[in-house]
Amino acid sequence: MPANKKYLTASKTQRFAKITAGFFGGYGVTVSFFMAIGFWLDHINVLTTLRFGGFMLWATLFLLAFLFKNGWKAWGLYLVLTLTFSIIIHFSKIYHPII
Amino acid sequence: MSNRVYNILFHTHTVSGIVISVALFVIFFAGSFSFFRDEIIGWERNEPVMEGMDLKDIDVDRMLDSISEQKELYGRDVSFTKFFNERRLGVNITASQDSKAGDKAQIREFFYMDAENLNSYTYGSNYSIGEFLYRLHFFAQLNLWGTSGYLLSGFVAFFFLFAIITGVFVHWKKIVSNFYVFRPMASLKNLWTDAHTALGILGLPYQFVYAVTGTCLIIGTSVMSPAVVTFMYDGDTNELYDDFGFNPLRFDMRGEKLAEIPSVNAFVAKAGQKWKGFEVKSVKIYNYGDKNMRIGIDGYTSHNLKFAGRGDILYDLDGAELQVTDPHSETSYQDAAMAVITQLHYGDYGGVPLRIVYFILGIASCFVIISGVMIWLVARDKKHVPEKQRKFNAWVVWIYLAVCLSLFPVTAFTFLMVKVFLTEFTPERLNHIYQIFFYSWLILSVFFTLKRDNYFTNKYTLICGAVLGFMVPLANGWTSGNWLWVSLSAGHYQVFFIDVFWLSLSVVALIIASNLKRTVKKHMQVSSYKKKEKASSLDNKAVLAD
Repeated sequence: MPANKKYLTASKTQRFAKITAGFFGGYGVTVSFFMAIGFWLDHINVLTTLRFGGFMLWATLFLLAFLFKNGWKAWGLYLVLTLTFSIIIHFSKIYHPII
Repeated sequence: MSNRVYNILFHTHTVSGIVISVALFVIFFAGSFSFFRDEIIGWERNEPVMEGMDLKDIDVDRMLDSISEQKELYGRDVSFTKFFNERRLGVNITASQDSKAGDKAQIREFFYMDAENLNSYTYGSNYSIGEFLYRLHFFAQLNLWGTSGYLLSGFVAFFFLFAIITGVFVHWKKIVSNFYVFRPMASLKNLWTDAHTALGILGLPYQFVYAVTGTCLIIGTSVMSPAVVTFMYDGDTNELYDDFGFNPLRFDMRGEKLAEIPSVNAFVAKAGQKWKGFEVKSVKIYNYGDKNMRIGIDGYTSHNLKFAGRGDILYDLDGAELQVTDPHSETSYQDAAMAVITQLHYGDYGGVPLRIVYFILGIASCFVIISGVMIWLVARDKKHVPEKQRKFNAWVVWIYLAVCLSLFPVTAFTFLMVKVFLTEFTPERLNHIYQIFFYSWLILSVFFTLKRDNYFTNKYTLICGAVLGFMVPLANGWTSGNWLWVSLSAGHYQVFFIDVFWLSLSVVALIIASNLKRTVKKHMQVSSYKKKEKASSLDNKAVLAD
């Protein structure tokens, strides 16, 4: 009954890319996403949600990384998302600061 | 779902599950016992308390008097907190704000104090099996490098969440039909699969709640906050603490001593009557003995009235309310979220019956974990799998089962030993409990691993645990005189509960053990190794002899 190997990633570098993309990339997307919206909604509520909801999002992103055919594309997508949210954070800090 | 997606999800479910299995088993096992932490402690110390006692029922003035006789309290903040339902309160005393205070008053102190006989205890001498099992369930004993134990348990919980999500996807199509399927007479693989899916689906809401709340409680702040502090607060942790109300209140001293210290009990009583069903959990005295002394009182409404009602009041010496949070007014999102998370995790909102249900579900989750490991083994125990690989798998399961299942007799043994031999509350208490538990766990794990027989491990851990478990109430009656009937008629509910708890656990374990039958097919593959190995070693010897 073990999963059919035909569908699994055989290459070691691909496996590495997917696991790291899911773990580190997923974390980056999660945290930057919550911070970006935190500047525009009530940041205390958003950060409280991050403490539990963040893990649900992160686990989902972790899972999605495995579904990519190419693990580096997962990395690419997660980096682009993190970067986008980071830009929002950067400008929010200037124009709509919380502290 | 395409075949590709199904197989990928299935594989991630298997790998994440098998990697965390042992750690998760320990977490669920110790965590399930922790539901009865307060009962265990009341039983262990022979200091039963009634459920629902709060600081209103305690003479805080008497405790303060006793502390002020031994310590210089002027200008310090003293707080009494009832963390758990036990006689001993946590006492925290800050460093004095008075520059003329003696050296001893310049340092922060923490200890436990018995509200009845006023004995005080350090962390080590206050240690208990209840505390041990509670802390084992988040690997506090593995905090060897910083908070490595907390992080480990947190990430195990996180991967558990991952395994639950993938598990739901994998079983999604068959989720309804699987619910009705149980084929104990079919092949062993079907038995384990049915048990895993049926109990996994039944326990799904429970397990999901535990994965999320557990991760949040243990690593929610430590993993998420560094990025937030750096990028949102420009590295200013203090600012974040202020936003979330983590920073303790402080008030400046006036520098004039009070002629007479007013009664703190009166303030507690006043606060306790302010709202319906308000339970006082913590009393803080700011600037003790100074003219600017203040009294802060924190608590919750009883769960019957409101699920998440936190209230606090700050009084000045004249009894004026300087700051009030009404527990019956609308609860903030932050307070509500944290209250829901902690209460769902602690299972403390429905009395003992709810905690018993939680305990059963927790042990059922242990079974889901073990059956998952068994599926993993049986599914790979095929002729086309290389011999070396199969041998490795068999060893993995021998070790896993030995480590996990021996927890039951080890826990019973610890209860027994502590009750009989650790009757003094000395600072070495902590070390002794560690030694009893960890050494017996090591010995049993090694023994059962070397037996290399899963059936034997399963059966004899249950029998051994049951026999030791039956001795727990006997040991208690023998050492303390609190036999079941004595504690029942005296109304010592906590003591009575733990005795009955061990009796019922032992009966159930014995029933299960006596129903275990060695199916020849079951260990065909695994035990055939042993035979083959023995045969081959005999051959070798024969060859050598020749």
